[in-house]
Amino acid sequence: MFSSGSKYLLGITGLSLAAAVIYAFTVNPSDIGAIALLGLMVAGGFLAGINLHNGSGDAATAEEAVAAASPAPRDSAWPAVLALGTALVLVGLATVPVVFILGLAVMTGGAVEWLTLNWADRASNDRRYNNDMVRTRSVGPLEYPAASAVALGAVAYLFSRVMLNVSKSAGAALFIVIASVVVTVAFLAAYRPSFRGRPLVAVLALGALVLVGAGVYTGIDGERAQLAKYSKEDPYSITHRECGPEESEHYDHHAGNAVNLRANVLATVFVKDGKAYAELIGIKKPVNSITIARSNDVNILFRNLDEKEHRMVIHLGEKAVAETGVVEKLENCTQLAGKNQEQLLTVNIKKPTIAMKDGYKIEVPGAEGEIEVIVP
Amino acid sequence: MTNPTDNTSGKKQDMKSTPRNPRRALAGLVAGSGLLLTGCATNAPQDIFQPKGPNAHDINQLQKLVFPIAGIVGVIVLALATYIFLRFRDRGQAIPSQAHGRPIVEITLTVVPALILSVVGVFTFRTIFDLAETQDTEMVINVTGQQWWWEYDYPVQEDFGINQPIITSGQLVMPVGTKVLLRETSRDVIHSYWIPALNGKKDAVPGRINLLRLEADKPGIYAGQCTEFCGLSHANMRMEAVALSREDFAKWVANQQKPYAAPAAGTLAAEGEQVFLNQCVRCHQVNGQKRADGTAVIAAPDENVYSGAAPNLSHLMTRNTFAGAMFDLLRPACRNDVWSAKPEEFGAKYLAGVSEDCLNATDLRAWLRNAPAVKPMYADPTKLGPTDGKYRGMPALGLSETDIDKLVAYLLTLK
Repeated sequence: MFSSGSKYLLGITGLSLAAAVIYAFTVNPSDIGAIALLGLMVAGGFLAGINLHNGSGDAATAEEAVAAASPAPRDSAWPAVLALGTALVLVGLATVPVVFILGLAVMTGGAVEWLTLNWADRASNDRRYNNDMVRTRSVGPLEYPAASAVALGAVAYLFSRVMLNVSKSAGAALFIVIASVVVTVAFLAAYRPSFRGRPLVAVLALGALVLVGAGVYTGIDGERAQLAKYSKEDPYSITHRECGPEESEHYDHHAGNAVNLRANVLATVFVKDGKAYAELIGIKKPVNSITIARSNDVNILFRNLDEKEHRMVIHLGEKAVAETGVVEKLENCTQLAGKNQEQLLTVNIKKPTIAMKDGYKIEVPGAEGEIEVIVP
Repeated sequence: MTNPTDNTSGKKQDMKSTPRNPRRALAGLVAGSGLLLTGCATNAPQDIFQPKGPNAHDINQLQKLVFPIAGIVGVIVLALATYIFLRFRDRGQAIPSQAHGRPIVEITLTVVPALILSVVGVFTFRTIFDLAETQDTEMVINVTGQQWWWEYDYPVQEDFGINQPIITSGQLVMPVGTKVLLRETSRDVIHSYWIPALNGKKDAVPGRINLLRLEADKPGIYAGQCTEFCGLSHANMRMEAVALSREDFAKWVANQQKPYAAPAAGTLAAEGEQVFLNQCVRCHQVNGQKRADGTAVIAAPDENVYSGAAPNLSHLMTRNTFAGAMFDLLRPACRNDVWSAKPEEFGAKYLAGVSEDCLNATDLRAWLRNAPAVKPMYADPTKLGPTDGKYRGMPALGLSETDIDKLVAYLLTLK
């Protein structure tokens, strides 16, 4: 009664119905995703009905006759892979694009492998010939690179999860240990022929198991606290830096050495003998005002020549918070810099000085002197 | 075989030796002559061979050395190549014996170019280092490029009477005989600043500050052109450097620092100020301008313009150009009067600014009427998606002719 075609179409109908129900309950029943899934269900059901009504019995008979004359194909897991891919595609359509793309890849791979296997198995009555000369030759050049890429990608991804989870020092130690193990195993494999058989396979399997286990565990556990904290923050946000007592433990103590930033230094602010002043390229004497072009990123270099640690703060007026109406001071600052150390501050000021009641200024807390910032 | 006495065959040979198309040869000759004659142009403000300042003089001196050497080498190479093409062209003769490895020839062909390049290199490096000198700078001007105009801001420099920053555009005003350091950067894409009479080119790169020194020997206006392709109106991104005597420069500075004076109430210009407040201050700033309630008018170009800046129009009518120096604010006769003035008369004529009689109202009105129609810009409101809804350049504001009359009257007061 049921031919392969009608089974396939009925399968699509059923899966679409299931996906539509899941989508309706988890996302939104009136969303376009649910409508698309229901549309797919109706189309599949319609085509399945036509297939069943119009001579599906004849088709089944013909298929059986052909099958009887051919060697039976091998048992294969590829149909299951194809089904998994199809399910992922449907779920991905209704949820997130990455699942859809993954499903598409799995579905394509499963379909190609299944079709090739069946085609090869019907080539002759010699199974070995069918496998080695027909199937492997046709899809082998694709299988090996694809499998290698997937394997390498999995290793890199899982290893990266581990390294992002452990502390910086533990990461360095772990890297040394793993590199030593890899070199030792490679050495044994190269110089001890007896190691190349099952022992090598066992070691590789164990390594893979450890990697998968550690990768999954650390992936679920997340990045180490320091990375998690900074990945949530906008590094250019005014709130990123504390202009009061130093709270950050992890920051770039040599930020002033970045070549790209040093190439764009508008002014250098010094603090020396407890006094702050600025220098501009081309103006020989120290200045107490600097001009910053409007709406453009500029860097101000802070150089501490004092014995004490200092930071540079730029005051950018005040702003009322839209939600609460509370007026907050806008300020940005460098990290603390010790004697002879430098820090860079990047600013982009979008309003002219006259837009602010008290204008803009730079100061170094604990040192005398203010530097007026003028935005024309 | 051809019979030498056969006149007919002789004619055929003669015809073969003459050019196939005399008209084409004549056209080539005329085009080549025309190309050569362009070197004789007198009104060529961007001629790199007419330096007007020490930096451009250095470059000119270098080219006087390098061009003859390069020319002689080029002529020798071309002559040899032509000789070889003619002498050894294929006539069906046997391939001559092939020689490989002539140490004398190879050493000569290595050593002679190396020596030539060394000589050129010594002078080139010396010029490059001379041009890069900034230690003896006397004055600093910040130059910011954006599509498609240049902004100049003068930091406080009390030696030159600049007690508060000056911001202008279109024309860079500088004192004569002064080593002026331009600190160039860009707000959007890479541009290149080039006033050929005063120095070579220097790129204005976003995120970098590049230094370029200018110095003019005599008062005058020196034309320039953006030389890094920067989008639709790159060809219209002009600039002019105006050199004034120290005294005239001091007058210019004093004028730029004058407080804003609103037009008298009840005048057409006062009505124009209202149009300006309603339409133009979204992007353009006029320093000192206040609203009726006494609060300062603050433009917000960062909300409307891709680069986050629009030309500051304070003292607009002290400039001779607008729209990225693409158009003159002066009518041709008045412009010619300023441009061709003798150095000793130039300052007074330039500082006179733009009077109502000299105003190039045609171009200014066309600009106010529909700016994108006269200067190509990405200012179509329906195509602003990629720039987050922000304009590149000035959009068409849909002003009525009456509003344009008022606006022109108001702009004329910005001196």
